[in-house]
Amino acid sequence: MTSFMGHQSRGETIGYSFSEPTAAPVKQHSFYPYTDNGGSTLGITGSDFAILAGDTRSTSGYNINSRMVPKVFRIGGDDETGEGAQILLSVVGFAADGNALKERLDTMVRMYKYQHGKSMSVGACAQRLSTILYEKRFFPYYVHAILAGLDEEGKGALYSYDPVGSYEREQCRAAGAASSLIMPFLDNQVNFKNQYIPGSGEGHALEPKKAEPLPKNTVKQLVRDAFTSAVERHIEVGDGLQMMIITREGIEEVYHPLKKD
Amino acid sequence: MDKLVAQYSRPPHQNELYNEQEQEDLSASVPPLSLKFSLPPVDNRSAFLRAMTDDHSNPSCPIKLAHGTTTLAFRFQGGIIVCTDSRATAGNWIASQTVKKVIPVSRLSRGEDKPSNDPTPGLLGTMAGGAADCQYWLRYLSQQCTLHEIRHKRRITVAAASKILANLTYAYKGYGLSMGTMLAGVTPQEGPALYYIDSDGTRLPGNLFCVGSGQTFAYGVLDAEYRYDLTEQEALNLGRRSILAAMHRDAYSGGFINLYHVKEEGWVHHGFDDMNPIFWKTKLDKGEFSNVTSEL
Amino acid sequence: MNHFPEAWGRPRNDVYGAYDHSYLQTLGPKAHTSSPAVTGTSVVGVKFNGGVALATDNLASYGSLARFSDVKRLRSFGDKAMVGFGGDVSDMQYLDRLLESMDIKENYSTHGNMLNAKNLHTYLAKVFYKRRSEFNPLWNHVLVAGFDGEGEPFLSSADLLGTTFSAPHLATGFGAHLAVPILRRKFPEDTPLEEVSQEDAVAALKECLKVLFYRDARSLDKYSIAVITKDGIDLKEDEQIQGQSWAFAERIKGYGAQTV
Repeated sequence: MTSFMGHQSRGETIGYSFSEPTAAPVKQHSFYPYTDNGGSTLGITGSDFAILAGDTRSTSGYNINSRMVPKVFRIGGDDETGEGAQILLSVVGFAADGNALKERLDTMVRMYKYQHGKSMSVGACAQRLSTILYEKRFFPYYVHAILAGLDEEGKGALYSYDPVGSYEREQCRAAGAASSLIMPFLDNQVNFKNQYIPGSGEGHALEPKKAEPLPKNTVKQLVRDAFTSAVERHIEVGDGLQMMIITREGIEEVYHPLKKD
Repeated sequence: MDKLVAQYSRPPHQNELYNEQEQEDLSASVPPLSLKFSLPPVDNRSAFLRAMTDDHSNPSCPIKLAHGTTTLAFRFQGGIIVCTDSRATAGNWIASQTVKKVIPVSRLSRGEDKPSNDPTPGLLGTMAGGAADCQYWLRYLSQQCTLHEIRHKRRITVAAASKILANLTYAYKGYGLSMGTMLAGVTPQEGPALYYIDSDGTRLPGNLFCVGSGQTFAYGVLDAEYRYDLTEQEALNLGRRSILAAMHRDAYSGGFINLYHVKEEGWVHHGFDDMNPIFWKTKLDKGEFSNVTSEL
Repeated sequence: MNHFPEAWGRPRNDVYGAYDHSYLQTLGPKAHTSSPAVTGTSVVGVKFNGGVALATDNLASYGSLARFSDVKRLRSFGDKAMVGFGGDVSDMQYLDRLLESMDIKENYSTHGNMLNAKNLHTYLAKVFYKRRSEFNPLWNHVLVAGFDGEGEPFLSSADLLGTTFSAPHLATGFGAHLAVPILRRKFPEDTPLEEVSQEDAVAALKECLKVLFYRDARSLDKYSIAVITKDGIDLKEDEQIQGQSWAFAERIKGYGAQTV
């Protein structure tokens, strides 16, 4: 049997119509329900805006599925196009889980609007997303999510999540395949980690530079730099950069081409 | 006739859509803290979950969860000191250096978490193990404590609150949760009370606990210097120094020192401070950590 | 829960049993035990100015055996969309029944069948995702072709895990390795759709099927090809790959006993 079939497992599943009592392994045992579609996302906040960005490549293994699969979505829009949304979500990891998660959150935020007659605040949405993720604690969504919007004071708000819903508000966060390349860059350029004020002292007395909210154009440039650099060093990142900028005026979407190799 | 046909015919396919209940669950905007979890449809669920998420047994497991690490709390004559590090790791990757591992529990304490001298009423919970497990279940506990307050018109005791949590973790024993948490509070009925609860369902009252991968280092310092009659300042310093020792020796601990003092009136936050300057201050001013050179 | 510092908070072997690697897909041929039996290989699709073309060969293999050589793997949905199936043939037939009953139901409704290819793709992706979440997957990788709500040509893919993506040209299975590079060379992805003619698209698909027949051991030289335009679907199901040249085969050396 095996010689026809190429490998053992097939020989066992295609057999005679009567059952073989010994050969009854759990059928679904090694169905593997996840895959990694690669890509990377990044979010940075400022005093009156938040930027969420992601590359547009979708991969499986060494194959590039498509060069235009967005990872950043508008949440709670009035229609299919996402018009009127005030919250952004980026998901990276297993794209099908990401899509399911996005649709659940989107539905909930919209239902909230219809039921309460007002838009959901980012803080509330952030908490809701955490519980959505935790509901799948024992069969997790394989995604790293980042949520962005403006808080009650109009300041940029950014929340980052692990796959089962632990979350934290942060100034900046990179997720996905190239997060280990981008995050150290952000630590240095956004939170000024390991930067000191020149001439402020000698040796251990040297004063560290204080982190301050950055202006929008600086942040935009940082995002582009982060991605162009990540593309150089990670095979799963590339093709295009989709950037969403949320301010009091609304959401602006920008697309920049990245290297396609 | 239709009925007859229906009786003897089978649909050519199963229902591939979600039923009404499932659709309602998927779109409901309110049921935030439910105890309904979707489970993987396999025979051995915890083995599946472990295969996917245990980054120690298999460093290349696909889903790496954020894990918290060194936390400590101890009782003394002036109340309870709670102190933690702030590092979260996913495998070898430092996922965050700014995690707030002290979580206020119960409604009255749901204020802004800013350093202030006015005590905020309520209990404190700490977070070690799976970050999401701790956040979710302490939030669930918070909800239960608030309900208790509304029903009984007085604050819940730490003993009762810790029992709610321990009963929960015991009910989910074997599912693969990972949390080691301490509940600290001072109530008129109990005085300063400290409980340790973990995901095995263990619940222990005690004077002094250290929890997490850096626990042994923290215990070393804490046990050496601990007395019940410490002054407030001595107690705060000891908490900070114990966590510092753990951050220094345990690779999975680090970041910022998060320090709280729980009193009868409520808890006071004593800072979320970068460990690096504190380390050098401790070394250079007091001559400790002589294993490290100070030459640049 | 483990309390020792080196694995703090992780599951303990004496409680949960040893770590079980079998849940993770390991490399090698024994990837899936609940594997499909009778399978179809690649599906290839290209968008062109005013429509989409889709092609598959007519083979259903049983492992390495070329078992059924007349299986049509392109199925139409109403008169607006086509689905090309790769993967398990029984699941394909099941999905075909599902889609047919949906088409009938839609046609009996007051508004008639208004579902376009995009709607169909969304539906199929959700069916796939729901089944994978139940650990009872439909073992297919499909391409859906037709028009979207705006009347633009639509081509998108969905697989057994519910993963979806679209591109101007797509291929499943072996085609993802062999056909996509050909298509990307012929129609670079920044080419406006207006510059891709129907003839070029169809010729490119035939070229791809030929290359696949040369190199994919589970393929056949008989194929089906569908061209979807505003005028309707033009489906040809008994085509033969033309102009084969096996001259290259003589230059292939180094396999098996042949060492020089």
